[in-house]
Amino acid sequence: MTLWQAKLLNRATRLRLAHRRLPDEARANLSVLDGVSGRALASAQRYVVVDLETTGLDHTKDRVVSVGAFRVVDGHIRLGEVFNEFANPGRGIPVESIKVHGITPDNIRDARPAWEVFRDFLTYLGRDIVVAHFARFDMFFLNRVMRAQYGMRLQNLVVDTVLMCRAALIEPDPYGQKKGAKRCSLDALAARYGMEVPERHTALGDALATALILQRLLPEMERAGWKTLGDLVRVAGVQ
Amino acid sequence: MRPRKDWPNHGSVRLSCLRRGGMSDFPLPRIKDFLQSVVPFDTMKETELQRVVGLMDLAYFPHGEVIIQAGEDPSKNLYVIMNGSVRVTLPRQSGEELLVDVRGEGDTFGALSLLQGELALFTVTAQEDLLAFMLPDEPFRDLVRDNPVFKRHFSFSLARNIDAVRHAADHHTTQMTGTETLGLDAVLTGSRVHELMSKTLLTCLPVTPVKAAAILMTQRKVGSIMVCEAGGRPMGILTDTDLRVRVLAAGVAPDVPVAEVMSRSMKSISPQAFAFEAMIEMARHGVHHLAVTEDQRLVGVISDHDLTMVTGSSPVGVMKEVAKVSSLEDLAELPRRMNRVMETLLRLGGSAEYMLDVLSEFNDRLTVRLIRLTQNAMEHKGLGPAPVQFSWLALGSAGRREQALHQGQDYAVVYANVPPDREEAVHVWFSEFAGRMIEGLSSCGFKGTSEAVMNDALLCCRSEAAWEESFMAWIGGAHPPALAMAAKYFDLRAVYAETGFVEMLWNKIFNAIEANRDFLGRLRLAGPQTRPPVGFLRQFAVDHDGAYLDRLNLEEVALQPVVGAARIMALDQRLRQTNTLERLGAVTRLGLLKDRISDDLYEAFSFVTLLRIARRLEEGHNGKDEGAYLDPADLNRVQRKMLKESFQVVSKLQEFTAQRYAQ
Repeated sequence: MTLWQAKLLNRATRLRLAHRRLPDEARANLSVLDGVSGRALASAQRYVVVDLETTGLDHTKDRVVSVGAFRVVDGHIRLGEVFNEFANPGRGIPVESIKVHGITPDNIRDARPAWEVFRDFLTYLGRDIVVAHFARFDMFFLNRVMRAQYGMRLQNLVVDTVLMCRAALIEPDPYGQKKGAKRCSLDALAARYGMEVPERHTALGDALATALILQRLLPEMERAGWKTLGDLVRVAGVQ
Repeated sequence: MRPRKDWPNHGSVRLSCLRRGGMSDFPLPRIKDFLQSVVPFDTMKETELQRVVGLMDLAYFPHGEVIIQAGEDPSKNLYVIMNGSVRVTLPRQSGEELLVDVRGEGDTFGALSLLQGELALFTVTAQEDLLAFMLPDEPFRDLVRDNPVFKRHFSFSLARNIDAVRHAADHHTTQMTGTETLGLDAVLTGSRVHELMSKTLLTCLPVTPVKAAAILMTQRKVGSIMVCEAGGRPMGILTDTDLRVRVLAAGVAPDVPVAEVMSRSMKSISPQAFAFEAMIEMARHGVHHLAVTEDQRLVGVISDHDLTMVTGSSPVGVMKEVAKVSSLEDLAELPRRMNRVMETLLRLGGSAEYMLDVLSEFNDRLTVRLIRLTQNAMEHKGLGPAPVQFSWLALGSAGRREQALHQGQDYAVVYANVPPDREEAVHVWFSEFAGRMIEGLSSCGFKGTSEAVMNDALLCCRSEAAWEESFMAWIGGAHPPALAMAAKYFDLRAVYAETGFVEMLWNKIFNAIEANRDFLGRLRLAGPQTRPPVGFLRQFAVDHDGAYLDRLNLEEVALQPVVGAARIMALDQRLRQTNTLERLGAVTRLGLLKDRISDDLYEAFSFVTLLRIARRLEEGHNGKDEGAYLDPADLNRVQRKMLKESFQVVSKLQEFTAQRYAQ
């Protein structure tokens, strides 16, 4: 994935939706890549680090129950600009999932449906770059709602901390011998950096852990020679 | 390059999404809990703390990154360390850095320059990977303004502003910190040399006759005159004392040019330097005046009097009093006051080097004063004045200018050679003198006036010839077992000198060593061979053999090896410095030690010394006497880490000297 590809896809989406009537937040989202320069420093970008909790891991039937996000600007995590909300999955929460994230049906009884939560999230996100750990998972759920609601994917750049970690931290493993080692899991990285992750397995707690890891990975990426936004998207960009 | 910064912020949903979730109010209780354990945030109400947390950023700095650079714009944030540690250092004019403090979890930094709004005073560097909360300028100021607890906590730093001292009448600040602290504080960091120096200068050319200079001084009612070249470059200074000692007493004619009688040891300092640094320079060189120069031109003079004016009870203030005291009882009172001053200094994060300089300068002055008082007392008793010229030498830690408070002292009296028939009478006088001095020193709080020291002191009261003989015997290897005891004699320094004996002795020592190179190896083996522990585990220190120690003698494991190694290398290189840090610096400049190891040693030695001074002060407070021992369980995380690193450097040095001075 390159910045150029992302912009090309964005151009195609804009052409396709040119004559469609779209809500403001979706219209604004279509232009988030305008003026983004691949030569800008990656460490000086604005990021939104997001984590979703779901009713399970089956993407055909599971739904989002909680969205947590932190904004990272100039490498600083903004503790005041937090996004943290439950979403009503419209179905029951399996007991196994409750055990993981501790969200009970009581918590979500009064929560709004996912599309409304994501509508607010789009406003919160603005033009910032989305960061997630195993981003494909979170993006799948997010984009499913986006497609149903607006007929398009999220247009922001998306960066995966797992890919950053593989590129900058982990020695290459061409034969896949260490594949099962989970060397890039949140827990493994937290242990590597000696971090104590508060409120692990809540959407916001995991988002914070990911943000803390992003703070450390950005300088590591720089050390490895990937200094610009273009480099970052090429190495760790996800669609 | 921050291309997106000026874009409209679409997502300022500050905390607005939190209410609906139905979770506890701040979504991350652990972060709030952490701040609740930090002084002074611990006193905040829950709701207020939540508001403040929402204003904070969480920043990460990889180790080695400079967070605040001294001399640059003031800090824009208050930093609260969540994880990791920082070094706070003061860059000195000479380019070296002075370690002022190490801060760890739960400590704050950046408040000083933020509140003062002046250029940052200290450099703050991440010593380990650092995770810190940042509270921006505006809300922090609001907090300090509106919250009395914050005001009190951070005005301790605010008081560093010289303005605070000038308005010492402001009961607010005075009550909170006490004037004593305030004054000292201000001198340390608040004011710069150009604010305190006298700018109305009295100068004369080097060719001016002494008499004309004296008349000028009398007219202007000042105690000194600066001697400058026609271009304005200062050459020296002529003081009242110089007029008395070098002109009148020496019988010099009043029409000789001042250049011939002025003190040439004029040290200069930049007007931008901190008053703190001026104090260090004065204490180090034992001078009362410094020339303030800019581009080699004289712009002012700063004297210790100028410093005393703003300090009230500062080290300099107490030191000044030493000269005024006329009875032993009054003199014995001063060390107690000095201890209090030192304690404040330590609390404010004084550096080890500075504290040792100040302390030894104080002890020297005290000793000189005591010599005068003792001489007077003996004359009073009809024992007569000193029969011959003599010098009072400091040995061991006192000789190295490294004595901490309440520490045993090693001194020696050396008197001029006399014909054998007078020897007996002269020795009797000096023995009496030494006895009285020891008594006087012990009443001033110097420890160790036991019988043994007494005898030792009497033993050390000898003629120049006898002294020389002992040194030659040690170097020549006549009494090998005596060498362990003798090492401290090679740190000798004259505190009070009527003769040039010490200079002559050094030359003889160096020449003798040249002829007996194996002496250095013997000296090394005579010293303690203990190796420092490798690290810490829970409440124990872990030995090289893996043994657990619940008591740690810092003196023995970390300081003595460095002191010993520096001594051997200095003797090897014919260096007369006695101070360990100066010795290390000098041998490094000669290329004997690598810069990196030397820097590390400097830090290690300073840190351990500081720790040791702190313990001594604490003991003095609690009335406890635990000797040199330290319980590793009492150390905090940062101290353990620093100590561990210090030990590693010391081990390296030991290996180096063992190789170079193998026997």
